[in-house]
Parts: sequence; structure tokens; C-alpha cells
Amino acid sequence: MNVGEGSKLIEVKDLRVSFFTPEGEIKAVDGISYALDHGEVMGIVGESGAGKSVGAYAIMGLIGAPGRVLGGEILFEGEDVLRFGKKRMRAFRGGEVSMIFQDPKTSLNPVFTVGNQLRAVYRAHNRGFSTAEAYRRVAGMLELAGISDAEKRMKQYPHELSGGLLQRVMIAMALICSPKLLIADEPTNSLDVTVQAQILELIERLRRETGMGVLFITHDLGAVAKLCDTVSVMYAGAIVEQGTVDDIFYAPAHPYTLGLLRSVPDRENNLTRRLATIEGAPADSLRLPAGCPFAPRCESCMSICLLRRPPFVELSEKHGSACWLCVRNRIAGGEEETPHE
Amino acid sequence: MDGRNIKRIKFGSFQPDIGVLLELKPEDFTPVKAETPEERVPGTENGSYRHAVWMRFKKKKAATAAFCVLVLIIIFAFAGPIFVSYGYDEFNSGAENLFPWHYSLEDQAVLDKAMGSTEDRLSAALNKAAAEKGSALSSIESAKIKAESDNPFTDMSKIARENNIHKKPFGYSLGELERKAAGEKVFPHVFGTDKYGRDIMVRVMIGTRVSLLVGIFAALLVLFIGTVYGLISGFSGGGVDMVMMRFVELIYAMPDMLVILLLSTVLKPALINYQSSGEGVLQSLVGLLGPNLIAMFIAFALMYWVTTARIIRGQVLRLRSQEFITAAKALGAGPGRIVRKHLLPNCAGQIIVTACLEIPSAIFLESFLSFLGVGVAAPMTSLGSMTSDALSGIETYGYRLVIPALLLSVIILTFNLIGDGLRDALDPGLKMKGEKL
Amino acid sequence: MAKYTLKRFASALVTILFVICVTFLLINSIPGGPWTSDKNPSKATVEALNEKYGLNKPPIVQLGKYLENLAKGDLGVSLKMQKNRPVAEIILEKFPVSAGIGFFALLWSLIAGIFLGSLAALKRGTWADSLIRVVCTVGVSMPSFVIASLLLTAFTGKDGTGGVFPVIFDFSLGFKSYILPCFALGLYSMCYIARQTRASMLDELSKDYIRTARAMGLSSFTVVFSQALKNAVIPVITFMGTDIALVFCGGFVVETVFSVPGLGRYFVQSIQNRDYPVILGTTVFLAAFIILMNFLADVLYKAVDPRIELTKGDR
Repeated sequence: MNVGEGSKLIEVKDLRVSFFTPEGEIKAVDGISYALDHGEVMGIVGESGAGKSVGAYAIMGLIGAPGRVLGGEILFEGEDVLRFGKKRMRAFRGGEVSMIFQDPKTSLNPVFTVGNQLRAVYRAHNRGFSTAEAYRRVAGMLELAGISDAEKRMKQYPHELSGGLLQRVMIAMALICSPKLLIADEPTNSLDVTVQAQILELIERLRRETGMGVLFITHDLGAVAKLCDTVSVMYAGAIVEQGTVDDIFYAPAHPYTLGLLRSVPDRENNLTRRLATIEGAPADSLRLPAGCPFAPRCESCMSICLLRRPPFVELSEKHGSACWLCVRNRIAGGEEETPHE
Repeated sequence: MDGRNIKRIKFGSFQPDIGVLLELKPEDFTPVKAETPEERVPGTENGSYRHAVWMRFKKKKAATAAFCVLVLIIIFAFAGPIFVSYGYDEFNSGAENLFPWHYSLEDQAVLDKAMGSTEDRLSAALNKAAAEKGSALSSIESAKIKAESDNPFTDMSKIARENNIHKKPFGYSLGELERKAAGEKVFPHVFGTDKYGRDIMVRVMIGTRVSLLVGIFAALLVLFIGTVYGLISGFSGGGVDMVMMRFVELIYAMPDMLVILLLSTVLKPALINYQSSGEGVLQSLVGLLGPNLIAMFIAFALMYWVTTARIIRGQVLRLRSQEFITAAKALGAGPGRIVRKHLLPNCAGQIIVTACLEIPSAIFLESFLSFLGVGVAAPMTSLGSMTSDALSGIETYGYRLVIPALLLSVIILTFNLIGDGLRDALDPGLKMKGEKL
Repeated sequence: MAKYTLKRFASALVTILFVICVTFLLINSIPGGPWTSDKNPSKATVEALNEKYGLNKPPIVQLGKYLENLAKGDLGVSLKMQKNRPVAEIILEKFPVSAGIGFFALLWSLIAGIFLGSLAALKRGTWADSLIRVVCTVGVSMPSFVIASLLLTAFTGKDGTGGVFPVIFDFSLGFKSYILPCFALGLYSMCYIARQTRASMLDELSKDYIRTARAMGLSSFTVVFSQALKNAVIPVITFMGTDIALVFCGGFVVETVFSVPGLGRYFVQSIQNRDYPVILGTTVFLAAFIILMNFLADVLYKAVDPRIELTKGDR
């Protein structure tokens, strides 16, 4: 594998991750594949427990017992991340790929000051810098993340800062070593709505300025529409649909995607219409049915759906879906029939 | 199905089995009428909370093993004395100071002869030396000779080995062995006897009873006080809670062992007076257990309820802010009902775990106090006092200390393991690194 | 921080005062007074003695006098065991021995406990972890007198003196005679600390901010010993307050078993002999010492964890 070969920033191929619990094997990620170009923003959407975060953790090498990566490849600029040794992985994490997490209040160590923690990260990747230089770099990073009076903030403890500020600190920490890829795992989940918008703007601005790629994990379709170039929709550990933002929003091919889009309350047009939901509860990962995992809740469920898992069908160059409906439509003579409205 | 059409479909990362695809029939694509989603997926069971907890507990091997051991010990302590034909305070004359092993009658005879010959050899050596010297030996000289020859007592094991004699289990006195040889059924002294000839195994059984009962009752007492206090404090909240907790802090800050020793000392004379003041039930209870023990109970109850109170209060505070309590209030439930129907059942788990872990504390304490001589009164015995009594004869009669001490530790260990197991079963906290649900 | 320290100190003083008063009143409420046990003196003698020691005044007055004397450092005199010897003097003679043993016991239990606990957490699931857990679970179930007695049995030579380790405490033997008592005294604490450290370390290692530290590329070593340890050690510090009390009270037994001429053994003897001034004085002294140590532990706790407030709440 030559470094730099191929234009893709990151390519995930048929990744499989399972957790072996006393109650049985949970197939958190069961064969997913996607690819990201440099500077591209991909959204990964799905319900809680769909396996969105697990895939990202696999990239970062953070899967620990009782979980295990069972197979597949993760190619970062051509190198298989899954084969990294410990030292290489440490340099990789935070240096080439950074991750920010959902709840900033618990994601920062409460007994160290903010500046201290940022400095520790910087030091871990850059030896031989004096304390003063590290200090300046940290302050600069905090300002870049939109934190005014950075000097004062550096000396404060996490419990003294608000959620929005803390998330900015996290972003500063993630970007302090100029990574090429940022993974954002539901970064706005625990924040107020106004603050959410600010954080999203920040991420977008930083992406423009640094040219880094972003993997944006969320269940907020609105954020996806604003921020992302491509989208992968996940359900029960599998990618059920994948495509550009336009593909997904204007030509959804999978019943689940359709259900998600429909369940967003539509204030402009239909104040009187009943709130649409997807019937049933999210799949129990311990007891997945044979066949398509979405079948029990699908309005277009067919006999074959209960028996066999659907293959992933390419609908156009960037758009694909794993659904028997697509197979049926193709076999029936090439006409694209969208799943019934 | 038409293979040509299938080949036109481009498949992404999930490559299906082409054979499967070729088998597809039009019927496979008939829509399935919507029953409820659950009906399409069979096999989703629902267990109650208690059931789940019990299942989780059973899985913990250490805790279940400990539970079995505890049951065995309880049977040993409470049913055991029925089978042993000795009373716990019965002096068996002729059977004093027996070890938990013995030599058979025939082997005894051989040993006696060998020992006798050793003694003869020693006397012979001494006489010879005296003869050579021509006068009586000085004490130093005879001591030297004694040291060089075989000591008939300490080398008994050596003699036994030379003559290929092995110890047999259980202790019997010579008299008992003879009775056995004559055909009588004699119950062995499994753990030997003490200096009065009292069978140690029976005493251990009784001692275990005392330790267990004291531990359990003390723990229950403390549990009751602590739970009530914690419930009131947590539920009332505000100023009442603050004052009550300040009091708890005060007691918590006092060094418990000191206070207990002190209280035991102080209460003892008062209890003795009380005991001799009348003939009622309470008075005889005091007499039976001994004023020391009662004092310990009282002292324990006064000092140790605080941990339970804190835990229960914490639980109540956590529950109080949950919506189902507000809902109950909104429906018009009075405080008594809320406590009974909503708070208590949710605290039940914590209460059980705390109880399980308080018992070893109580047993610990009782044994500690008995060891120091301020516990149960003779002839009643407990494992702690047996250990203490055995300290003096420790070089020769080591078993008298080891047996009750080990049994005590095993009992405490089983309660600890069961308590730990219960605590884990109640709150599995399954955290898988990297998984966010 | 200063405010917190001051408030805690005041709290400690109040508690000490409370203990002194309670103890004094308790001792004074023993029926019969200190004279009735052995010789059954005549009424006149009793009255004379009471007059001499001021025991015929109402309790509150006696309490006041006691406190007044206390402030001057006078804890009364021993009435039984060492007639007329000032209690304060006895305490000053015997306490350093107990303190020495207690200190070393605590030290080894702390160091070994934290080390073993962290090791067990790091090597979770391996045989090292299982071994440490088993040993510590068993160790926590054995009262200190059991351990002390078992050690005594094991190391007693045939002629009553120690084999490898001395079983009778003797200053002339120097360091060696500290080994067994300190080990027996510290074992329970060590096992408790190890279990606690393991549990809180495991808890720590699954915390979100540890995940963040790993995700940012910090080395395992840094993560454990810099980020996690500081947090993991907090419950141990909380325990230190109780631990000190435990160690000193465990000291009673260990001193008895190994014949250490310390304050603990003397205290037990005073109880058995009902030498009330000694009981009172020793209780007051030990209680005050323990409460002060608790106070220091609280201050240390605050220094390590910047989050806690003044009241202990439901920790």
C-alpha cells in the first residue's frame, strides 16, 4: 500500500464489528462501505443504536472489549488503519484524524484546566516545543474556535464553562494538530438550539479554511441538509441507502429513508396533518430477524424481505440502496419505481 | 427469473449469492399485509425486573457458590449439635486436650514402647556419663546430654515415622478408644477437645450460631433504624433533612470502635443491675446472652445505622425527583402511600444489598469484641471468643485457634460475596467501550 | 479553599467537643463509681475519695472542671493500673509506639493497595487480575485479629519466641519486630484500597474524557497515570479518614496479640480493669486524633477534586 495513492481521503470497505456480550453477539456494524474525498462532508444518519458511532470508533481504533473488529478494511489515504501498530495509531489519532463527541460536559477531564488538557494533546503530537510556544498555540486555537478572552478560559475548569463553550473547546482540541479528517459524533445533541446552529457554522467555517474532510454523525436531518455533501443512512448496523444530499432528499429509494424524511414535522405546509411516524420500535440488535432488518416495520414489506437480506443495488453513480424493492424494479424491466408514497 | 435482467443490476458492497437471485419467483415479491411489527418477528420475551435480577445473580458463580456454602454452614451450626452426642459445656473427663487426630490402640502400644526405649536410652546415657565422671552430673552437663539424645516428646513424630505409624483422623481419648474396641459406638471428637474436655466441634457449632444470630439481628436492627431515618430525611427534604444529616455527620465523625468499647463498658454495669432487678422475660434474655452482648447490640445500633441512613436517603433523593413521583402526587396520593407503594419497593434492592453487607460488619464487630474479652459471656461461646481463648496455647494447640478463625473468615467472606453479587445483579451497568446507545 | 478549610476545622472542633462531653457524661453515669469494684470500701472512705477527686459535685460542674483541666493539658490520673500517674504522661509515653506501627501499616497499605488495584484494572481479565481480586476479597473478610493470630501461630517457634519474624514486640530487635504487626494491621486496609482502586480505575477508564484523551492520541501511560489516576484516587482519599480510625482500633487487637506496649493495648486493659480516668483520657485523646485526621483527609480531598462543595451530601 503506497501512501497517497488514490484520491480518496478515507475508504471503508465491508467493515464488520461485533460486541460479544453475555447475552449474545451484537452485530453493531455488519458490512458497511463508504468513501470520502478530501474536503468532503458526509453525514451518517440513523436512529440510536444503528451503529453509526461504532463505525467511527473503528476508524479511530477505539473499539475495546467486548467489541472486536471482525473484518473489512479502512483505508486512510491508502493505508489500512486496522493494521496500524500502537505507535502509529497514537500518531494517527488526533494528528491525522480527530474526533469530537456528543456530550462535552463529560468529555473533558474535570480535574484539569482546559488549557492544561489542550496542551497535553499538543504535546503528545509535537515534541520539542517550549511551554510558552505550546501556550500560544493553545490560545490561538481557542480563538480560532470562536472563544473570546482565551487566556482567561485556559485557566478555568470544565465545570465552570457552558455547554456551547465546552464544545468549542473540544473542537479546538481536535483541530490543534491540524488533522485531515474530523469525525463529529452527534456534536450538537446536548446543546441548545441556538448554540447548535453556532457550532455547525463553526465546523463549516473551519472546514472551508482548512480543507479537511468531515464525517458528521447525527440524527438531525436539518443539519445534514445544511452541512453535508453526501449521506449514508444506517439501520441496525447496515447502510440501507447512500447518495448525495440531493439524491437522498429528493429521490429516496429506501422505505426507511422515506420514513425519516416524512417524520420531520413540516411546519410550512401541513399544520393539520398528523405527525408521521415509523411504526414499531428500533431493531433489537440481539435478536435481528432473518432477512432485511427493517422488514418488520416496512410498509412495503414483501415475502422475500422476511427471508433474505437485500443486496446493495447501485441506482446511479453515487446513489445506492439495499432494498428488495430496487431489485424488483430492475428485474421488472429497468423502470425505476419509487416505493409507494 | 430472467438471468439477463439480473445481470443488469449493479450491486454495491453487499454481493448477493447469484444463485439465490436466480431462484427468485414473482410470489416472493408479494407484499406482506401489515400486522404489528412484533408479530412479524417471533420470540421477543418479556421478563419482570425480579426475574432479570435473579437470572443475573445466578450467573455470578462466586456469589452462588458462596450462597451454597453459607447454607451448608447454617445447617452445620443449627442442625449439627443434634448429631453430636456431646454438649457444648459438657466436661468429658479423661478426654482433655485431645488433638483432632489420634493413634489407634495398637499403634499407641508400639509408640509407648519406642518412647519408653528412648527414655531408657536417655537414662542409660545419663548414668553412663555420670559413671564416667565419677560423681553426679551438673545441670549443665546433663542438659547437654539431653539435648544431644532424642527427646522422647518432641520426636514422637519421628518415632512414628520410623515405625510406619500414621495418624488417624478425629480425636479419641484412651478410654473412648477402649470403649470403641469393646464394640460401643463412640462419637469422635472431630476437632479435638479443650483443656476441660469439652468437645470443640460442638462448641464451634454453638459459636457459629451465636456469631450468625448476633450478626443478623444486629444488622436487621441497624437496617430498620437506618431505613426509617433515611426515608424520613430524604422524603422531607429541606430544613428537616439538613438537620437530620448534620446529626448523621456528627455520629459519622465519631470513631465507632472507641465509642462501642466505651458504651459497652458503660452499659454493662447498668445492665447487670437491670438483670438482677427482676424475673421478667427481658431480664432473662439479658442473662442468657450476657450483658456484654446486649451492650454491644445497643452500641452497634446506636453507631452503625448511619451508613444505611445515608444510602437510603441518597436513593430516596434520586427517586423523589423522578417523574413518576410527581405523577403520583398529581393523582392525589398522600405521603404515606407514596412511601409505601413507590419509594420502598424501589429502595428494596438497595436495602437488601446493604443488609447483606451489614451482616459481616456486625459479625466482625462481635468477634472483635469477643476477642477483646468484652463480648459474649462464658460458658456461652462465639467464634471470636474461641479464637481469643486459644491464643494462649498457640504453640501446642494451634488447631484450636485456626478452626474458629478460619470458619469466621469463611462466614464473612460468603456474606461479602453474596452482597457483592446482589449489588452487581441489581445494577449491571453494562458498559461496552465504544458503544453508544 | 481557605474558607472550606476553616469551616471543616470548626466542624472538627465541634465534633471533638461533642465527643468529650458525651464520653465524660457516659463515664460518669456508670452506677457505683470507680471505687466499688474491688475492695468494697466503707461509706466514709468513699465519701472522702469523692471529695478528693471532686466526684460529689453535679455532672455539669464536673464536666466544666474537666474541660478546664483539659485546656491545661491535665487529663487526670490513673486510679487503678498505675496509681496516681498522670494520664497525660501515660498517653505521651505509649502513643508514639502505636503511632509508629499505625503509620507504617497505613503507608504500606496505601502504596501496595493503589499499585495492586491499578494493576488489576489495567490487566483486567488476566490471571493477575483474578489473583489480586481473590486475595483482596479474602483479605477483606478476615478480621485483623484472625490474621494476627494466624501469623502468630505460623511464626511462633517451638520455644515460644519467633522463628523468622519476631512475634513478641521488642524495641531492641529494631525494625524486624515491626514487620508482623504492621503487616497484620495494614492487610485489611490494603485489600480494601486495592479493591476500591480497581473499581474506581475501571470506572474511570470507561469515562468519556478518557475516551477523549485516547482519541486525541495520548499514550496509554499518560492516560492511566496522568488523566485517570487523579480521579480514581479520590474515593481512596475519602476512605483514608475512616481508614485511620480502623487502623487505630485494629491496633488494639494487634497490640494485644503481639504484645506491643502501645496505647491500644493499654486502652483495652484499662477497660478490663475499669480504670475510668484512663478510659476517659484515652478515648478523648484518640477521638480527637482521629477526628483531626479526618479533617486533614477532607482538606486533601478538596485539593485533589475541585468540584466538591462544603456539605458531604450523598457521596
